Amino acid sequence: MSLLEIKDAHLKLDNKEILKGVSLTVNKGEVHAIMGPNGSGKSTLSYALAGREGYELESGEILLEGNSLNEMSADERARGGLFLAFQYPVELPGVGGMSFLREAVNSRRKFLGEKEFDHLGFVKEARKEASKMFVKDEMLKRAVNVGFSGGEKKRFEILQMAMLKPKVSILDETDSGLDVDALKIVSEGVNAQRNNDNGIVVITHYQRLLDYIVPDFVHILSDGVIIKSGGPELALEVEKNGYAGLINAA
Amino acid sequence: MLLDNKEDYITNVKNFTSSFDENHFRSLASKDFNNWPKPLEEKWRLSRLGALSRIKMMPIEPDLKKISKIDKKTGSFFLKFVDGAFRTDLSSDLPSGVTLEELDDKESLKFLNKIKESDLKNHPTTNVSLSCTPSIIKLTVNEGIKVNELIEIIYEGGDSKFSVHPVLYIEIKKNSKLSLIENFDHITSLVMPLQLIEIKEKGSLKSIKIFNDHYNTYNLSAHCAFLSTEANYNSFSLVKGGVFTRSETHAYLNGPNANLNLNGVYISGKEQHHDLTTAIYHDVPNCTSKQIVRGVLGDSSSGVFQGKVRVAPNAQKTDGQQMSKAILLSENARANAKPELEIYADDVICAHGATVGELDDNQLFYLKSRGIPENKARKMLISAFLKDIINESLDDQFHDYIFNEAESSLSFIID
Repeated sequence: MSLLEIKDAHLKLDNKEILKGVSLTVNKGEVHAIMGPNGSGKSTLSYALAGREGYELESGEILLEGNSLNEMSADERARGGLFLAFQYPVELPGVGGMSFLREAVNSRRKFLGEKEFDHLGFVKEARKEASKMFVKDEMLKRAVNVGFSGGEKKRFEILQMAMLKPKVSILDETDSGLDVDALKIVSEGVNAQRNNDNGIVVITHYQRLLDYIVPDFVHILSDGVIIKSGGPELALEVEKNGYAGLINAA
Repeated sequence: MLLDNKEDYITNVKNFTSSFDENHFRSLASKDFNNWPKPLEEKWRLSRLGALSRIKMMPIEPDLKKISKIDKKTGSFFLKFVDGAFRTDLSSDLPSGVTLEELDDKESLKFLNKIKESDLKNHPTTNVSLSCTPSIIKLTVNEGIKVNELIEIIYEGGDSKFSVHPVLYIEIKKNSKLSLIENFDHITSLVMPLQLIEIKEKGSLKSIKIFNDHYNTYNLSAHCAFLSTEANYNSFSLVKGGVFTRSETHAYLNGPNANLNLNGVYISGKEQHHDLTTAIYHDVPNCTSKQIVRGVLGDSSSGVFQGKVRVAPNAQKTDGQQMSKAILLSENARANAKPELEIYADDVICAHGATVGELDDNQLFYLKSRGIPENKARKMLISAFLKDIINESLDDQFHDYIFNEAESSLSFIID
């Protein structure tokens, strides 16, 4: 059974059709890249997958391991194993990083029928994972994303991914706002989590990120539909000729 | 003028303002409370007392044998007022350098004259409170005494159809320091606490007020504070009890370099109405005042913040900041904010802002996208909203206590 299946997804925002029939299948162990120009519907697709209110499908279906997500709320989807790394991680003044992580991880563990972490056990676990992502202890004590640099925010996103151990991760423009060094750290963090049981969908404008997170498949999203799919070489083609050539050809 | 007996005292109170009606004294039941402010009065437009005028009410005769029902919550020193009367038998000793006395007529007159210097002279509750209080109690911290221990004041008692009138005068003498926690915990009644605070040169008062009266109680708290040179007053109110609670504070910055923090939180549910009203008077140069008010409203509750900051023409280099934020958790909840700046000096920094809104969609989605259930996510955001101001307003030792007090009420408005 495929991990994630998007079947002919249609979605309207303010009565304007944004997704016009997106279909995509992600199997275990695969990394898919979705590339596309501004306004092609990439972020809308990521919100639709994550279950943001207001981004319900007009028609079509999203399945996670064969279970329909259409009627599920964002938190149900996340507990079930879907993860969205935000393009712009949201600041939560007054919500401490450590307690936020623990709440999230325990929600997922509870769903999976695993034992929830107690405070001390969690701190130990979080520190271990955090050090791998170069997330300092001090950052976990601060309010979530408040006063974090662009790089810190993205590292914190990937730390959450590492701790939640999702089945499918959607990385929405994770490269935006990152310098080369930060991009390397974040990519290594993502690569460390690639395994034969999970799937990753990387959404990006640029080929650059795909030098570090090498995808198995590349899809070009344009005006709400996937116009072309291929291997990593497709990303290089975009880099060389831009989107315009591909779109015109389609 | 010396007051020889109670009659003179009453007469004096009567002359105190023209609006005083001697029929209020001990005979409130015989009159309607028709001296309550009318809805057209600007200061009471957002907090209407109409319902109160329809209740026949008598000032309570304090029962000096009544058993205390409220346990102290913190601190080793505590004072108890039951039915508005101070109870020595239920209170602890005080730290050395701190004295407590019942004012005699002469001292009462001084008290009255000081009140007359404030806006409370025209306040609808002042006369009633002064006429009906069993006694005016004065708490004094002597010069140079820095009290490190906390003093807790508990106000309890009350009875339906009766009004309760604790009156407290606090004097912080030169170079002295005090921390107070006041708990209002009355059963159904009308409570009208009146408080006068004088902080002398370089004196410091930290005060936390927790309004936690039983549902159906009206609490019309009026308090005024006078700050001398380099005096420091840090006041924090947590309003969560009663069906109608108004915490009204008038602060006078009368000496240069005085510093005032006047923060507050209200948490309102059911049909509750909560009101934080403040007036800050910058009368001399180089003073600072800062106000942060936050409200969380659920069900059909309503909340009001009205804050006036007046900067006199010579009060140059004033720094006055005011910020209020309310979060509505239900479609039927209402919040009103009315900041007012009256600035007559030209070299000042004054700012104010007020927002009323719902929880932030982005923040809610972010939490939910991590698997945190909607309800839990909402709680986390509201807790954070309150924790922020509690941590900023209070010393570390009080963070958990006050936060838990706030959170215990939150659970009633977030299902």
